[in-house]
Amino acid sequence: MNIPLLAARNVTRNKLRTVLTTLGVAVTVLTFLLIRTVVAAWYVGVEAASKDRIATRHKVSFIMQLPKHYADTVRQVPGVQAATWAQWFGGKEPNHEGEFFATLAVEAKTTLDVYDELVVPEDQKRAWLEDRQGILAGDVIAKKFGWKVGDRVNLSGTIYPGDWQFTVDAIYTAARKSIDRSTVFFHWDYLNESLPEARRDRVGWIVSRIDDPAKSAAIQSAIDATFDSRDIQTLSQSERDLNNSFLGMMSAVLGALDIVSVVILVIMGLILGNTIAMGVRERTTEYGVMRALGFTPRHIATFVLSEAFTLGIAGGALGLAIAYPFVNQGVGAAIEENMGAFFPYFRILPDTAITAMILAVVLALVGSIIPAWQASRLRTIDALRQVG
Amino acid sequence: MIPLRYNARSLVRRRATTIAAALGMALVVFVLAASLMLSSGIKKTMTQSGRSNVAIVLRKGSDAELASGVEKAHVSLISAREEVARDPAGAPMTVGEVVVVITQEKLGGQGAISNVMIRGVPENVYTFRPSVHVVEGRPARPGTDEVVVGARVRGRFKGVDLNQSFELKKNLPVQVVGIFEDDGSSYESEVWGDLETVRRGFGREDGVSSVRVQLASADKMDAFKTAVESDKQLQLEVFPEQTYFEKSSEGTSAFVNGLGITIAVFFSIGAMIGALITMYASVAQRRKEIGTLRALGFSKVAILTSFLMESAMLAAAGGVLGVLSALALGFVKFSMMNFASWSEVTFSFNPTPEILVFAVIFGGVMGVIGGFFPAVRAARVPPIAAMRGA
Repeated sequence: MNIPLLAARNVTRNKLRTVLTTLGVAVTVLTFLLIRTVVAAWYVGVEAASKDRIATRHKVSFIMQLPKHYADTVRQVPGVQAATWAQWFGGKEPNHEGEFFATLAVEAKTTLDVYDELVVPEDQKRAWLEDRQGILAGDVIAKKFGWKVGDRVNLSGTIYPGDWQFTVDAIYTAARKSIDRSTVFFHWDYLNESLPEARRDRVGWIVSRIDDPAKSAAIQSAIDATFDSRDIQTLSQSERDLNNSFLGMMSAVLGALDIVSVVILVIMGLILGNTIAMGVRERTTEYGVMRALGFTPRHIATFVLSEAFTLGIAGGALGLAIAYPFVNQGVGAAIEENMGAFFPYFRILPDTAITAMILAVVLALVGSIIPAWQASRLRTIDALRQVG
Repeated sequence: MIPLRYNARSLVRRRATTIAAALGMALVVFVLAASLMLSSGIKKTMTQSGRSNVAIVLRKGSDAELASGVEKAHVSLISAREEVARDPAGAPMTVGEVVVVITQEKLGGQGAISNVMIRGVPENVYTFRPSVHVVEGRPARPGTDEVVVGARVRGRFKGVDLNQSFELKKNLPVQVVGIFEDDGSSYESEVWGDLETVRRGFGREDGVSSVRVQLASADKMDAFKTAVESDKQLQLEVFPEQTYFEKSSEGTSAFVNGLGITIAVFFSIGAMIGALITMYASVAQRRKEIGTLRALGFSKVAILTSFLMESAMLAAAGGVLGVLSALALGFVKFSMMNFASWSEVTFSFNPTPEILVFAVIFGGVMGVIGGFFPAVRAARVPPIAAMRGA
C-alpha cells in the first residue's frame, strides 16, 4: 500500500468529521457554483449575442424615436442584408399586472429575416403575417399567461394608453440560448394606425443583419455617417455592445458577486484547513511512531496533503452532484421561466463546474500546507511524548 | 454553572481553530449585513424624498415618469384645484417637469456609455423641494442653457461636473454651473436643467412628463385623487409621492435582498458546519476535562449549557467582527441600474440598528445550532471512563 492510498483510507478514521467536512466543502462548492452561474447568466446574453446584427437608435436617448423612413436608408448601406424596425410598447397583461415582459411593435414582414433564431411553425407564421392584430409570442410567456394559438387577448399599454386587442397567431421557440422567450411581437402597422397624425411613422430603433460580422464596426460607422447631417443623428451598436452597455450598469453588482465568490473560497479554505489541522493534532503520536519506524518528514507531509486532496475531491464531487440537479432542474428552470427577460439562460456552464472542482482541490491542498509543514517538522521524540 | 471564563480560555487556547471558525462566521454575517444594508440604502435613496402631502400625477397606465405625459392645459386644470396648497403670493404649489434619459460617455470606462436622467425643472423647484441645496457653484438661471448636477452623478460622466459642459443633444450644449445635494436621495443622480430648454431640446413643447402637487394637508390626498381620476377628460392617475417612490424602488431592492439573503443562507450552512467541526474536535480533545468536571459534580445540563455558550461566544466574536467590517462599507458608494428608470442611480449602504442587531443574532443562532450536537455529545461523556482515558 502506497502513502497516498494509506492517507486516503485514513479519512475514514473519524467518519463524522469526514462527513461534515465533505458536506461543508460541498455546500461552499454549491454556493460558488450558484454565484458564478448568476454572473455567467448575465454575460450569456453578451457572449451569445449575435455578431451579425446591428441596432441603430436615436443618438441622444433611447426614449426618442427615429423616422420610419430611416430604415429604407439603412437598407441601402453596403453590407446590410436585411433591416427591420421595432417600437417598445410596454404592454401589461391585465391578469398579471406585476409581470415584466417585452412587448415590441415590429415590422412583421422583415422581423423573421433579421431574427432568424426565432423558430415558428410555417402555418402559424403565415397566419401571423396576414393578421394585422396578430401576436407572435415566446413559448415561455405564452405558457405563463395560458395563451394558445387562436386566443383573443387584451394588453394594456403603459406608453400607448388604452386596451389593445390582439389574436395570438403564433408561438416561437428559440434556436439560440440568448434569445428571450418571453417577448411579445405584434404588427407595428396596427399601433401606427391608431395613433394621432402627429405621432405616426416613428420607430424606436432599427435592427439590421449584416453579411460579415468582421465588418460590423465599419458598417456601424457607415450607418451613423449617413445620418450625421440630418436632423436626427443615430447611434449604431452591435447587439453585443448593446448588451454590454446594459451590463455596464450592473457592473457594481457583478463586481460585488465576484468579491463574494472569492469570499466563499476563503470560507472553504478555512473549513478545510481547520479540519486537517485538527486531524494532525490528534494524530501527533501516530506521526511520531511513523517517524520512529523510518518514514521521512517528506512522507509525513505527503500523508497530510493526500488526505486533504481526498477530502477536496469528495467535497467537490458531492457539491457538483447536488448543484447540477438543484440549478439545472430546480432554480434555473424557475428563473428562466419567471425572470426570462433578464436571465434567458440560467444553467451551470461546464467551465464553471470544472473551475469549482479544481478550486476545491487546490484549496484543500493550500489549506493543508501549514498543518503538513507542522507535522513534518515534528521531532520524533516530542511527537511520541505528546499526550492528548 | 461552569464559569464562562473556562470557555473563553478554552477558545483562546485553541487559537488557530477558533480564529478560523470565527472568521467563517464573520464572513457570513458580513455578507448578510452588507446586502441588507444595500437594500435598505436603495429604499432610503429612492423613497426618502417622498412627502406625505405631495401627490404625483401621471398619465393613466404609465407606471413611471419616463413613460408618462401630461398636457399643458391639464397642468393648469390640476393646479387650479382647491386641495392644492398655495404659496404666500397665491400661486399653486405645483411643479410640472419633463424627464428624459440621455446617453452619455462614462468617465474611465474606455468609451463605455450609460444613461443619465435629465429633469427639466421650473423656476419654483427649490421652493417646492426645500431639502435640495446647491452646495457648490450657484443655481441655474431660468431660461438659460445652464444646468445643475446632483452630487452623486458629478464626475461620473464626460463633462458632467462643475464648470464643464456637455451636449444634451447635437448643437444643444449646456453649462454646469452648480452641484446640488438632497440628503442622498435619488435626485442626486440626476441632472437638472431649465424646463423650457429641455422641452425644446426633446420636442416636449406640448406638455410635461409628470406633475407634482403639494396639497394643503396630507388628508386631502384621497379627495384630490378621486377628483382627478374621476375626470374622464384628463385620463390621469394620482399617487401619493411616497407610494410612487416605493413602487419604483421595489424591483431593485427586492433583487438585491433576494440575492443577498440567498447567498447568506448558503454561506451560513457552510459556516455552521465549520463550527460543528470545531466544536466536535474540541469536545473530543477535552473528554478528560469534561469527565473531571462531571466528577466534580457539574450536571449534564451544566456541561451542555457550557458548550453551547462556548459555541455562541465563538459565533458572537465572528458576528461582531462581521458587523464591524460591514459598517466600514458606509463609506462605499454603490452605483447600479434602477430597473424602473433604466438609468444608473448611486446608492450607499445604510446601516440601521435593526440590521446590525439582526446580523449579530443571526450569527449567534448559527453558533448555537452549530454547537448543539457537540454539546449534547459533551454532556453524555461518562465521567469515570473519560477520566481513565477510555
